[in-house]
Amino acid sequence: MLKDWKRWTAAAAATVLAVGMLGACGSNSGSGDGTKITIFNSKSEIQQQLEELAESYGESHGVDVEVYYSSDTVAAHMATKYAANQPYTISMVDAKDVYSLGAEHAIDLSGEKWVSETDQAISVDGKVLGFPVSVEARGLIYNADAIKKATGKDFKPESIKTTDDFKNLISDLKAGGMESPVGVMKEDWSLAAHYLPQVYEEQEDPAAFIKSLHDGADLNSNARWTSLMDTFDVLVENNYAKGDKAISAEREVTEQKLAKGEIAFMFGGNWDWAVLNQYEPTKNMGMMPVPQNDNDMDVQNKLVGGGSKYFFIDNSKNTSEAQQKAAKDFLNWLSMDKEGQEWIVNTAHLVSPFKNNTLEVADPLGKSVKEFADKNMLINNYNYLPDDHYSVLGANFQKYLAGQEDRAALAGQVVDYWKSNDMKTIQ
Amino acid sequence: MMFAGPATILFCAVVVVPFIYGLYLTLTSWDGIANNKPFVGLQNYRDAFADTAYWSALGRTAIYSVISVVLVNVVAFFLAYLVTSGIKGQNFFRAGFFIPNLIGGIVLGYVWKFVFNRAFVAIGTALTGHEGASLLGTTNGALFALILVSVWQYAGYMMLIYVAGFMGVDDSLKEAALIDGCTNGQAMRNVVIPLMRSSFVQCIFLSTTRCFMVYDLNLSLTKGEPFNTSVMAAMHVYNKAFVYKNYGVGQAEALILFIICAVIGMIQVYVGKKGEVEA
Repeated sequence: MLKDWKRWTAAAAATVLAVGMLGACGSNSGSGDGTKITIFNSKSEIQQQLEELAESYGESHGVDVEVYYSSDTVAAHMATKYAANQPYTISMVDAKDVYSLGAEHAIDLSGEKWVSETDQAISVDGKVLGFPVSVEARGLIYNADAIKKATGKDFKPESIKTTDDFKNLISDLKAGGMESPVGVMKEDWSLAAHYLPQVYEEQEDPAAFIKSLHDGADLNSNARWTSLMDTFDVLVENNYAKGDKAISAEREVTEQKLAKGEIAFMFGGNWDWAVLNQYEPTKNMGMMPVPQNDNDMDVQNKLVGGGSKYFFIDNSKNTSEAQQKAAKDFLNWLSMDKEGQEWIVNTAHLVSPFKNNTLEVADPLGKSVKEFADKNMLINNYNYLPDDHYSVLGANFQKYLAGQEDRAALAGQVVDYWKSNDMKTIQ
Repeated sequence: MMFAGPATILFCAVVVVPFIYGLYLTLTSWDGIANNKPFVGLQNYRDAFADTAYWSALGRTAIYSVISVVLVNVVAFFLAYLVTSGIKGQNFFRAGFFIPNLIGGIVLGYVWKFVFNRAFVAIGTALTGHEGASLLGTTNGALFALILVSVWQYAGYMMLIYVAGFMGVDDSLKEAALIDGCTNGQAMRNVVIPLMRSSFVQCIFLSTTRCFMVYDLNLSLTKGEPFNTSVMAAMHVYNKAFVYKNYGVGQAEALILFIICAVIGMIQVYVGKKGEVEA
């Protein structure tokens, strides 16, 4: 009898567990009267602003907007959502993800009004699939106050064109008491997704150049490579953290030093403002092109960048037509409506990729980028690098940064990487 | 059916079916997100065997596991001996040694990253007068850091199992040995340890599998840096499948890792159980 009782209890407990688990899997149905759209955000620094926007936009436009964020790699997160058949209505992804996912998963936005207002939208096979969220650019970030304090003179970024100009300024800074005027970020994405790609991007035809590397061209004798690496050497020589220390330098510390004026220069992009801004920086900062001796393609006067982060709208049967319509309305509002434009510039502190958005950018780095963009002085991002490029070559680049290998060895590794690449992504 | 039915169905739903589906995916060149999954036969396995980064990650994981498992068990056994030998406040010490295990691997990694990058560097600077580099910036240093933190984390947990083992050995047996003229060391070696064999089997099994599958600590403490030389097998598999979008190859590598773990675990349990004795 006792045994029976135990058996029944165990069976009941197991059933409860089983039902509970199945129940937990299937509780995402139900779409009521008001249309509900979901937005995936992959820019951590604007998550709070987006959540607030979702609430106010939802109330004024009669849609239910929910915002999600994940710190996963964007492609990995998209993979899990699509594998679970729960795509977001609107997803914010990187440019390369629009190229890899768009054709299969995004709706055609060619007919939208905002298309004619931007040069940064992404089209695949003649269809506009990606809505540009912002413009971002890479270059040398400077702290003008720190430079003035050390040299006693106002800093004019346009006076520094060549590596030699830059070297002279560095020695002035050192003479003025700034021991190491530069910070170098050791993150693999900074080295191999931001600095190294300039070697490709500042060629007349990046794809053809990469193909030549694939065929075994000698990178170390390339003029652009030499020009950029000469400057990189100057940055490393004057880095506040040297050798092994360069490899354990934390990004936050480097940015804090720049904000406080302990160092004057760091290679980065306008997204770094979100980090710098935590350390009460001076407003007298800005971005300038990486100084180079080789001025082919006018690189001494241009930043490298373009559209960054793209929205696409899901085309699968999980997203109803009403939801797609609501999503399109939202993108229209962001780009064409005064309120949406205000939100992009003044609330989210982004640089708008839309020409009709003429609001002034508040943060100094964004302001620099906007100036270069308005003058058409941006060299385009090359968005077709393979997904493992930053990691594999980042590791090699870190060795170079730590002084464990020389430039010829790094050039050889870059060429080897491309030799063994299947070139499927290159176009 | 009444008794084991629900559990069997659940086990099939969350383990067997995904496992078989996973097997199927190793035969496709899926990128992890596209709708079609082109069938490529055994190509992914060929790619996995040719992936030198994977094998060096596996080799590194083996080195890390061997050293960690030995240290974890030595430290845990020693701690267990201390806290069962009747020292004052032994319950407090038991709790204290166990606590690191209650902190998740991710949090633990970030805490220790701070310790290595700031605290140790600051102490080093104060002692030697010039600013040194963080351990995490060197290849061997990063591996050492991983081992140190793993030992710190797991020793307390394994200690609990050894404590149970010690308590399971009847005092009268040890006393009889002592009366028969054994020294303390001999009694430990010839009486207590053989009787605790099942504790050793459990602890070594648990620590081996945990070390081989380490991911969270790896991610938050070193993230594979410097130069990708601290990427462990699980992290390599994750990156391959999700970050580099080579889902099929990643899945094939995960399967190889699973087989290696299963074989090591089974051999070790088999060998361990074979020599078990009863009092």
